[in-house]
This record gives sequence, C-alpha cells and structure tokens, in this order.
Amino acid sequence: MNAAEHAINIGELSLALGGRQILRGISLLVAPGERVALIGRNGAGKSSLLRVISAMIRANGGHVQVLGKKFGPGLPPAELRDLRADVGQVFQGLHLVNRLTALENVLMGCLGRERSLRTLLRLYPDPEIRLAQGILASVHMAHHAATRVDRLSGGERQKIAIARALMQQPRLLMIDEGTASLDPYAAREIATLIGNLAREHGLTLIAVVHSLPLLPLMADRVVGLKDGTLALDQPVDQLDQNLIESLYR
Amino acid sequence: MTRRGFLALMAGYALLVALCIGTLEREGDLSLGRRPWENLKASAAEMSRPSLVDIWFGNPRLEYRSEDGRVLRVEDRRRVEAQFAGALLEACWTTLRIATLGSLLGALLALPLALATARNLGAPRWLSLPAAFMLNVSRAIHTLVFGLFFVGIIGLGATAGILAIAAHSMGTFGKLYAESIETLDMNSIEAVRAVGASPLQTFFNAAWPGVLPQLVSSSLYVWEFNIRDSTVLGLVGAGGLGLLITEAMALFQWPRLATIFIALISLVALFDAASRRLRQALL
Repeated sequence: MNAAEHAINIGELSLALGGRQILRGISLLVAPGERVALIGRNGAGKSSLLRVISAMIRANGGHVQVLGKKFGPGLPPAELRDLRADVGQVFQGLHLVNRLTALENVLMGCLGRERSLRTLLRLYPDPEIRLAQGILASVHMAHHAATRVDRLSGGERQKIAIARALMQQPRLLMIDEGTASLDPYAAREIATLIGNLAREHGLTLIAVVHSLPLLPLMADRVVGLKDGTLALDQPVDQLDQNLIESLYR
Repeated sequence: MTRRGFLALMAGYALLVALCIGTLEREGDLSLGRRPWENLKASAAEMSRPSLVDIWFGNPRLEYRSEDGRVLRVEDRRRVEAQFAGALLEACWTTLRIATLGSLLGALLALPLALATARNLGAPRWLSLPAAFMLNVSRAIHTLVFGLFFVGIIGLGATAGILAIAAHSMGTFGKLYAESIETLDMNSIEAVRAVGASPLQTFFNAAWPGVLPQLVSSSLYVWEFNIRDSTVLGLVGAGGLGLLITEAMALFQWPRLATIFIALISLVALFDAASRRLRQALL
C-alpha cells in the first residue's frame, strides 16, 4: 500500500507540552478499515497522540498525515474543519452538551457538513434528523432521543457520544477510554458495540483501551506506548503477554 | 489559612466592630431617641389600619369642621381611597416599567463587558482591565446617586429612573454574567469544534445552551432586585411608588404608607414567584 493511501501515516512524531516531552519519535501506519487499540500506562502519551491525529494540538516534530491530508502550519481553517468532520471522536469524559437532548447532541455530529445558518438555531434538515434517529436506534438509545443527556446514566451517555461520532459519517473513528468508569457488563457491551460498528461501517478505528480483556472485542491490532515511545505493535491474536506486562511496569 | 491567621482575622474584625460602636457612642449617634417604644407603638397603631380598608369601610360623609363648628368640607372616604388605589396601581405600573427597561438596558450594556472580563475567554488586558473598571464603578455607585445625577441632567420622570437603574445594574449584571461564562464547560465546546463545526456553530450549539439558563436566571434575579430599587428612586423624583412614599411620609399619612407597602410587597412577591418558576424550568 502506498504511504499516502494509509488512513494514518505518522513519522518520527515528537510532542512537548509545558516543557515536558510527551511523545518521542513515534512512527505509525494504519490502513483504512483497520481497528487499532492503543494501550499503555496513564501518562504514556495515548490521549496526546489522539489529539495530534485530530489536529487539536500541533506536534513539535515529524510528520502527520491523516486521511491523505498533511498537517502543517499552512493548513487553512476551512480545510482543517473538513478534516475534523471526517474524524469522529469520543473523548475521555465524553464532553456532551448537557441540558440538550440526546438527539440534539447526536445531530451536532453533522455540523461539519451542514453549514446552513439554521444550524445556529439548532434546526437541521429532515434527512439529517432521520439519520440521527437511525444512529440512535443502532446504539439502542432511540427511546431516549428526547431525554436530556445530563439525566442519562454513564453507559447511556457513552452511547450518545459514540452516536455523535457516527453521525459525522467519519472515515476515521477515535475513541479515548470509551469504556472507562463503566461496570464490567456495560464495558463489554460498549466495547462490542464499538468493534461491530467499526466493522459494519468499514471505519478505521483507533481506541485507547485500559481493560485488556476487551481488546479482542474492539481491535485487530494492538499498539502499546511507554514513556512517549512506541513499545509494542502486534496483532491482537498474537499478543506477547511479557511485552504487555513490561508496558505497565 | 492557618488557625492562628483565622483568629487574628477574627480579632481584627472584633476590633473594627468595637471601634465603630465606640466612636458612634462618643459622638452621641447611637441613641434610639427619647421615646422609641412609644413612637414605635404609635406608628404601628397608625399603620395597622391601611387606608385600603376605607374603600369598603370608610365614612362616606366625613365632615371637616372649623373651630366654631361650621362644616368646611365633606369627604367621601371610600371615593377618595378608591382614587388613591387607582393612583397606586398606576405608580406600580410605572415602577415596573422603570425596573424592566432599566434592567434590559443594563443587561445589554453588561454583556460585552462580561465577555471582556470572563477569565476563561482570555480577552487581552487592554480590553479586560477597562471593562472590569467600568463594572466596578457601576457597582460602587448606588442607584439613588445615579438617580440624583440623571434627574439633574434630564429632569424629573421615569427616563431618569430607567437610566439610573441601568447604570447601577450594569455592574451587577456584568459580574454575574462573567461568573456564568467562567463556569462554561470548555470540554463540550472543544468536542463540538472537533466535529468540524465553524466558530459560530460552536458558539450557538455548545457555548450558548450551556450559559443561557444561568444568564436568564441572573437576569431575573437582578430584575427582581431592581423592582425594589426603583421604588427608592421615586424619592429623588424619578417617578413610581417612591413618589407616593415620599408624599405619604411628608404628610404623616401612615395608613396610606401601609397601603403602599402592601402594594410593593405584593408586586415583589408576584414577580418573585413567577421568576422562581421560570428559573426552575430553565435549570
């Protein structure tokens, strides 16, 4: 596969924030449709790597190419917004807009492609509303469409955040600790949902995962970070347990 | 703060209170007067029968006589108090209009200043410092002082009252608005930005829904406060209930003062009940 055809093409990436080196010389190629789990200790640089890939922060060195677009200081804001519209994200902490309903939160996923002034009043075209309702149904949340998200449980909010990302109709889906703070049953349900949705929609998936038993449900490939460097890159069914343990030591 | 620091602070406060009491006592300004209880009882007795009652139970033929017994004037108390009630309603309406328009103007003036002073929005210092100064000045000067100032400039009437309410409440609105903006969930704003939304879309879809209920809630609170404040403005000639209060006090008409207080308390209580329901619905 040509390097430009990769969903993610990162070379010698380095990032320093507040005088601290977060990422050091990371190189990573991810093919379209591949499902990758990112693992590592807290502070290893997983969330920062996701933020660099989504252009929320800018790297200090190396190159980053996402969905064929190269990040750099010269990337115009409009192109950056177009790129972000193609990258669905579920954040650590979810970051839903409280006080708005589940459906309204999901509909925000279309703001990257729907630029009409009506969206400033949170008015959306009918096809987008139907799409959002369909996505809510696919994450088993159709019955909560009119419920304010601050009145939902942790697992339900997680599903709304995933639905918002899917509403973008992204080519790349990035999930940061999508099963954190959930009970084991709910975590398993969400992990299976994410893995299946990525497979069904042919999405490239990068998911930060802390619970190792969930890896086979979500990913085909596991990438491990340690102290800002890439320390493991293996298919999920050939994982070296010693290597994994060394990540957390 | 350490325990010792807290005790020192309390000791300093106790000293200040003692100093206030001591100096006022020495200047003879801490007196309750010669006959406080008698005065209180007399005023309470006068006010215990609000003039409002006369609309139904007043003397329809109250005769005013000269010393030699001649009838000077006959007054129908029911009709007179009914007329006063009409004037009272009109004054309530004027007070409400002064408070409403003054609050609206104050809120509109405060919004840009709040945006400039909210710390999380990071406005440049050349903008935030003058804005904070304006809000502080506005809060520091009492509505009554602004009232005197505007009556002096544009003359007696409701317009002076509206401007006085706006000038003072701008500071209160600005501070409350800035505090509301500072509690905004910046993470949800980042999340909406991350879907590729434009800055305007991000503002209206993430920031506005987050901050609107608190802005409305603060506005209702200050509006309600301004209704009480605008009654005082009548004392300096800015119209409304305050004008009737001044008249009643000058003529020692305590029953009428009691009626005015009933009207004022009813007005504030009604507004308070309505705004509380609205606040609950919003939050």
